[in-house]
Amino acid sequence: MRMRLVAARSGTPRFYSGSATLPKGEGADVTGIEVVIPKRKTWDKVAVLQALASTVNRDTTAAPYAFQDDPYLIPTSSVESRSFLLAKKSGENAAKFIINLHPKYFQKDIAEPHIPCLMPECFEPQIEDISEAALQERIKLKKVKASVDMFDQLLQAGTTVSLETTNSLLDLLCYYGDQEPPADYHFQQSEKSEELEEASEENTEKPKKKAGQQLGATWRAKNNAERIFALMPEKNAHSYYTMIRGMVKHRAPVQALNLYTELLNNRLHADVYTFNSLIEATAMMNEKYEEKWNNMLELLKQMAMQKVKPNLQTFNTILKCLRRFYAFGKLPALQTLREMKALGIEPSLATYHYIIQLFYQHESPSKGSSLVIYDIMNELMGKKFSPQDPDDDMFFQSAMRVCSSLKDLELAYQVHGLLNTGDNWKFIGPSHRRNFYYSKFFSLLCLMEQIDITLKWYKDLIPSVFFPHSQALIDLLRALDVANRLEVIPQIWKDSKEYGHTFRSNLKEEILMLMARDQHPPELQVAFADCAADIKSTYESQDARQTAPDWPAGSLNCIAVLFLRAGRAQEAWKMLGLFKKHNKIPRNELLNEFMDNAKASNSPAQAIEIVRLASAFSLPVCEGLAQRVMTDFAISQEQKEALGHLTASASDSDSDSSSDSDGDINEGK
Amino acid sequence: MAASMCSRGLGPWVLSRSHALPCAWRALHVSAACAKNRAARVRVGKGDKPVTYEEAHAPHHIAHRKGWLSLHTGLLLGSALWFPLRYGNLDGQDHAAERTVEDVFLRKFVLGTFPGCLADQLVLKRRANQVEVCALVLRQLPAHKLYFLVGYSEALLSHFYKCPVRMHLQTVPSKVVYKYI
Repeated sequence: MRMRLVAARSGTPRFYSGSATLPKGEGADVTGIEVVIPKRKTWDKVAVLQALASTVNRDTTAAPYAFQDDPYLIPTSSVESRSFLLAKKSGENAAKFIINLHPKYFQKDIAEPHIPCLMPECFEPQIEDISEAALQERIKLKKVKASVDMFDQLLQAGTTVSLETTNSLLDLLCYYGDQEPPADYHFQQSEKSEELEEASEENTEKPKKKAGQQLGATWRAKNNAERIFALMPEKNAHSYYTMIRGMVKHRAPVQALNLYTELLNNRLHADVYTFNSLIEATAMMNEKYEEKWNNMLELLKQMAMQKVKPNLQTFNTILKCLRRFYAFGKLPALQTLREMKALGIEPSLATYHYIIQLFYQHESPSKGSSLVIYDIMNELMGKKFSPQDPDDDMFFQSAMRVCSSLKDLELAYQVHGLLNTGDNWKFIGPSHRRNFYYSKFFSLLCLMEQIDITLKWYKDLIPSVFFPHSQALIDLLRALDVANRLEVIPQIWKDSKEYGHTFRSNLKEEILMLMARDQHPPELQVAFADCAADIKSTYESQDARQTAPDWPAGSLNCIAVLFLRAGRAQEAWKMLGLFKKHNKIPRNELLNEFMDNAKASNSPAQAIEIVRLASAFSLPVCEGLAQRVMTDFAISQEQKEALGHLTASASDSDSDSSSDSDGDINEGK
Repeated sequence: MAASMCSRGLGPWVLSRSHALPCAWRALHVSAACAKNRAARVRVGKGDKPVTYEEAHAPHHIAHRKGWLSLHTGLLLGSALWFPLRYGNLDGQDHAAERTVEDVFLRKFVLGTFPGCLADQLVLKRRANQVEVCALVLRQLPAHKLYFLVGYSEALLSHFYKCPVRMHLQTVPSKVVYKYI
């Protein structure tokens, strides 16, 4: 671009400011076309890297990049992946601790330009004398107690502290509720506080909230903040703001509202952040829903009177409080949304999250759920969001929850499409939320989608994005059953061993049951038998670890049947022996199949063995089996007598009092 | 041998064989000593000493049968031209020594941080302004402890050298023996 301009400039003089057009009297070769030369583009520093990155998709066979690429070090379950990432982070914290303990070894600065985050940090106050600068330093280092002490010392010495410094001291106290920041503040991510807030949200959703259950600091009456506030010779609006917001944050709504009236009495105006806190305060009061809503409307009217423009947080706060009003909050929520649109404030993902929570509070759609989710998704199609509210990352989880309860696959695809637009993937949230989202999505796919596409999603998502629960795998197996694609089952079993489901007995029972239910072509039967042998070995290794062997009856039945059908008669007979050992009863169909097998291999000894087993368990089918043996097989006289004995003993026990036979059966169980 | 030659040529300057005292005597060596080369070699034993591929080959096999353990461009002309971030001046020829000193520190540091876990020498690669430490690790420690050590060493070394330091681990069940010597 530059070269062309330079070359052109060397010719006849032209004007290249902005978009230029060729002057008309140029020559015969120029027709009347106007050529608009665009302005020079300025590229971002990482534009080339971004362009290259856009050509590469996620590798579905690799573990997330945060893990080391080694089979021993790749996590095999969500618990492991979380523990590895936490271990790595804790290693980094240990390193930072050492670095800040001995900063003199890390002072040499060879990086050009200077990299501030790689220098050691100083957490102790340097200025020792009693002065306002020392107070400001302590405030900057977030030392609550030290700054309060310094303030008191300054007052005792008689020096007046300036208004800004007092205000920043109040800020510090109100933010931390007059307690020290958590001890590992410098190392901890904000994960802990997020979890506390989530827990507190879930707590407050229950109608009866006990005061003792409150988490985090509560505002004690007459604490340091109030004391200093009272001592201040002059207060400006900022002081009131911080106090109100601190009180609301630490659950003292009554004092906050009182302070607000005091603020109005002093003929000061509140700013938008204070109003947001006050709205929260009114929702915290112990009143009925209508009263609370009326109070909020009052506040909003006062806000309009004081000519304070509401922002996104105002509306989000209103919706957050309306969430707790259950059915009453639906109409006000829609009104709020309309007001937001009228003011031209763009809603964030958190807004839609609150609306979804409000309208889809109960899981069951029996009451006739609303269609608001469809409107929301139509609205959001193709939009890219940037983080504006701490609750933005809860949207996708609640949206997928709704899709799952409505059993709507198209909607789920829309939600997933929104997740993949632009940078919206950042809003998926922490690992447990991501797992929840993908579990629900995958379950919905298994339920509703064609099997080929489901299997494609399976390969795409698992295990590179999330580790499936055993329930998700069971859903997948049922989907395979419905679509008659049972040949994939051995592959699924092999995969699930890698995700830590080797000892999950409900999964194993489901697999065995599906494999053993029907007859299949021989190659498939062989594959199934191999799979069954594998599962059997997992049961055995499980037994080695536990004292009491505990194989479910269904598994024993299925494994025996599968061995039999694949022609592995030896192992099948061994399985029969195991029944007695584990005190489980073989099913009638199983015994019939064994009888068929004995007939096919033409061995009356085996047939008699079966009858003996049946009689040992005192099964009612014993007689039928004995009959069959007599008719189908060519047996000798002793064998006939033995058979007669067996059936006699069986029928004897049958004809005995029912309690006896029940007792036998119970023993057999 | 040297003493006898000396005495033959120049007369009795060296106390050669004294017929009176049949004791041990010390000769004066004046030729240059030619000691055996012992650098980076494992001496041959009885056949029961396991050595890895790296140890089994002497330094003269580098670039023939072995690669380098430490890769950087400190020896190229003007190598510092493109990355003044780390190299300060732009002349570029005298930084190999500094890289080597850093390497020594890195090797000692990682050797100590992963006690008894390293199966072989580290491979250090310098790429742009990053240092990549590639280590072959035994499976002695459970995986989360290895991650802790990785996070710790990456953070500490990054702060020390003021550049991103990354660790890449590869685990093996035991030291990979090439032959027994």
